[in-house]
Amino acid sequence: MSAHEIANGQLPHEPEKATLEGRNKVLGFWLFLGAETVLFGTLFSAFLALRHNIGDGPKPSELFELPMVFAATMILLFSSLMSVFAVQAMHRNQVKPMLGWLLITIVLGLAFLGLEIYEFTNYVKEGHRMNTSAFSSSFYTLVGFHGAHVAFGVLWIGLLILQILKKGLTVVTAPKIYVSAIYWHFIDVVWVFIFTVVYLMGKVG
Amino acid sequence: MAAHAHKVKRYHGLLDWLTTVDHKKIGILYLLAGGLFFLVGGLEAILIRIQLIKPMNNFVGADTFNELITMHGTTMIFLAAMPLLFALMNAVIPLQIGARDVAFPFLNALGFWTFFFGGLLLNISWFAGNVPDAGWTSYVPLASPTYNSGHGVDYYVLGLQIAGIGTLLGGVNFMATIINMRAPGMSFMRMPMFAWTIFITSALIVFAFPVLTVGLVALMFDRLFQANFFETASGGSAVLWEHVFWVFGHPEVYILILPAFGVISEVVSTFARKRLFGYSSMVFATVLIAFLGFMVWAHHMFTTGLGPVANALFSIATMLIAVPTGVKVFNWLFTLWGGSIRFTAASMFAIGFIPTFVMGGVTGVMLAVAPADYQYHDTYFVVGHFHYVIVGGLVFSIFAGLHYWWPKMFGRMLNEWIGKLTFWTFFIGFHLTFFVQHFLGLLGMPRRVWTYLPNQGFDTMNLISTIGAFLMGVATIAFLVNVVVTSAKPRNAKADAWEDGRSLEWSIPSPPPEYNFKQLPLVRGFDAWWKEKMEGHTEMTPAEPPGPIHMPSPSFLPLIMSIGLFIAGFGFMYDKLYLAIGGIAVTLFCMFLRSVFDDHGFHIEEEEQEKGVHA
Amino acid sequence: MSSGNHSVSEGEARRHKVEGPRKHIVAFVLSLALTLIAFAAVAAGEINTQFTYIILVGMAMIQVFVQLAFWMHMKDRGHMFPIIGIAFGVIVVFTMVIMASYWVWW
Repeated sequence: MSAHEIANGQLPHEPEKATLEGRNKVLGFWLFLGAETVLFGTLFSAFLALRHNIGDGPKPSELFELPMVFAATMILLFSSLMSVFAVQAMHRNQVKPMLGWLLITIVLGLAFLGLEIYEFTNYVKEGHRMNTSAFSSSFYTLVGFHGAHVAFGVLWIGLLILQILKKGLTVVTAPKIYVSAIYWHFIDVVWVFIFTVVYLMGKVG
Repeated sequence: MAAHAHKVKRYHGLLDWLTTVDHKKIGILYLLAGGLFFLVGGLEAILIRIQLIKPMNNFVGADTFNELITMHGTTMIFLAAMPLLFALMNAVIPLQIGARDVAFPFLNALGFWTFFFGGLLLNISWFAGNVPDAGWTSYVPLASPTYNSGHGVDYYVLGLQIAGIGTLLGGVNFMATIINMRAPGMSFMRMPMFAWTIFITSALIVFAFPVLTVGLVALMFDRLFQANFFETASGGSAVLWEHVFWVFGHPEVYILILPAFGVISEVVSTFARKRLFGYSSMVFATVLIAFLGFMVWAHHMFTTGLGPVANALFSIATMLIAVPTGVKVFNWLFTLWGGSIRFTAASMFAIGFIPTFVMGGVTGVMLAVAPADYQYHDTYFVVGHFHYVIVGGLVFSIFAGLHYWWPKMFGRMLNEWIGKLTFWTFFIGFHLTFFVQHFLGLLGMPRRVWTYLPNQGFDTMNLISTIGAFLMGVATIAFLVNVVVTSAKPRNAKADAWEDGRSLEWSIPSPPPEYNFKQLPLVRGFDAWWKEKMEGHTEMTPAEPPGPIHMPSPSFLPLIMSIGLFIAGFGFMYDKLYLAIGGIAVTLFCMFLRSVFDDHGFHIEEEEQEKGVHA
Repeated sequence: MSSGNHSVSEGEARRHKVEGPRKHIVAFVLSLALTLIAFAAVAAGEINTQFTYIILVGMAMIQVFVQLAFWMHMKDRGHMFPIIGIAFGVIVVFTMVIMASYWVWW
């Protein structure tokens, strides 16, 4: 049985795992996330090794503003919850609510990105550029990699919303939704370490 | 079944090869591309050895020599050894685990093409006149913009970055394939040893390559955007690069050698006509080597000055790896013991591998002794050591694997006589080249230096080494001749080409049909095919009724995506922003197309299944 | 491919049908509380640096564990390989963090 054959009939429970293709996709994506863990881990290691070398640039405790970081954290945490609701709606085969939750997810993702861009432009104005110091280079690379992941996630989930509108929820589209939700949670998990290690520990000194 | 309506365009000739998602064809593509880069890297090696044939030689200049050693190392590791392993993996793994395909056929094709275009980008540097020359490890500050202002290292960084994407995809793909796609009854502990080692190797790829990705990104940012990761003057750390490189680099050597262990296990047990001795201890040793492989990277950095505690820890951890490796060596010996051994070219390479690899392992333990390493470090002793494990280990096993699986891949038996000639010239040439290098190192000849003064005791041994290198070149040519001669012969290899096959790939025709297994086999034990043969069966027990077989459609997208990355690489390097953005846009657009248009694939009906299949 | 397509048992399917948002809201509240504690520890500014680090890293680790288990369904059945994958990734990252903290500068 291949994916599109089941699609003609009744949608099974947990449609993301109904076909071998779907199960492969979920498993393969988890393995990819294992690789992403190491990728971000290496970026964190580089940041940890270099974070005290600020050269002539501003100190992290002067640079970072807790309210803004807190706002970004809340936005991302909320959007993570929204994508949980989306997957739950998918399991109940409720397409419209699922699309609604997904839409809120990416709107929050966009808000996070806007905040990050605003934050970065402020830093550049204060003399904290890519080439200022080892701290600034590793900061922009780590946080920027995360931001790029958020941007990719927004585009991806946006594309999936359009696909669901056109194709409906099937055993082909369901694994995509499930996998994108896992990806979105992973981005939030990485952010937990970013606000802890980069911002809060930077604020403490 | 409602799927008959889909008509999928199927390509022929060259277009078939450019669009294929069939793992067997991708395996052959890997073999061609990896073989091509092997010849390029081999030519570079010959040039290096000609330069060193006599003291104060002026065959190539110092700059060219630096370029040659950098490109030789990089090409051989990333563009020859790994793709040749991927060739064997692709050709054999789905067959061995009784699967019709890999988990992600599309990604498989994408992995090949990104590797190929990454390699191409790296090698175009020869024509651009800016060749990487900071060594295959590309240590900073030598590779930093201050000391390496041309585009040479940019080619290294971007070429490896693009090729690395392909390797990572391959790792994810084969892990998922082995976990999810095994035939009914094929439990993990019934998998052939080669499948096990590929499983573990894929895991190492998945966890080690992202480290390289980040290292290369950091170096690229330093070079292109004036970042300060490795710029000491601005607070960066040169030692950080060494750590990052070797946290990746050490698992990388196990990525190379574990599949070699797998090939040797298969070949030894087939040609000794015995079950592999100590199968479960082999599995355990493989897992243990992989795990320890992540904990020993700093033994490449003993002389960096990490301090006595770190040096002692990494020294002991490194020596520990000798234990599971020793388990493997004894298991091979016990497999041979009392077997009725057939000396074919494949089994000769495998048997030649054992003592050669043991020598490389012993020098490895010598190098693991941190105080002694201060003496060996950066001498030809190290060069001798790693060529013993990589050439004596990996290349021997690739030759063994190619001779062994050639009939399965192409349906023709390689010529045994030329095969044995290949073995003897390669074996003798190899030991001539590298055995003396240990002593050159002990006498103090430094590596990576383009020439040397006469009368230091280096002269004769360097001459011997160069002669050996030429012999290895002759062996490689003999192998190529063998391939050409064989390809002119009729395609008549039997399904069980060696008659002593043990695993599932020998239960289906050579070469296998597009769908591999007409009916998925039911696996009833370790050495599944051998077990059936011993019970007098002539084919595997099927696990499903015959029926139409679903296949994925061929696609141009992997090729185009890789070309997009290739173009973007040039854009980044030469500060042409529109090229960089354009290239990445091409790649992203292909991803968009792939996501939006579902691949329904096509079915091969029962009556079509016999078409073109060779009995 | 026809082998073993339905790994989901009837009971599990029923359980999923009725699984409400409650667990996920609990996980959310927990994440929220852990985040607040971390930010408060820094905003208060009274605690010594070493101890603050311990609080921060502790809170982050618990939060990540909660999210992995509930939101990413790691606690559910059939997640052996995802757990092994992430765990091994974490081990590699852990050795690298030690490397970055102790062996880059000395």
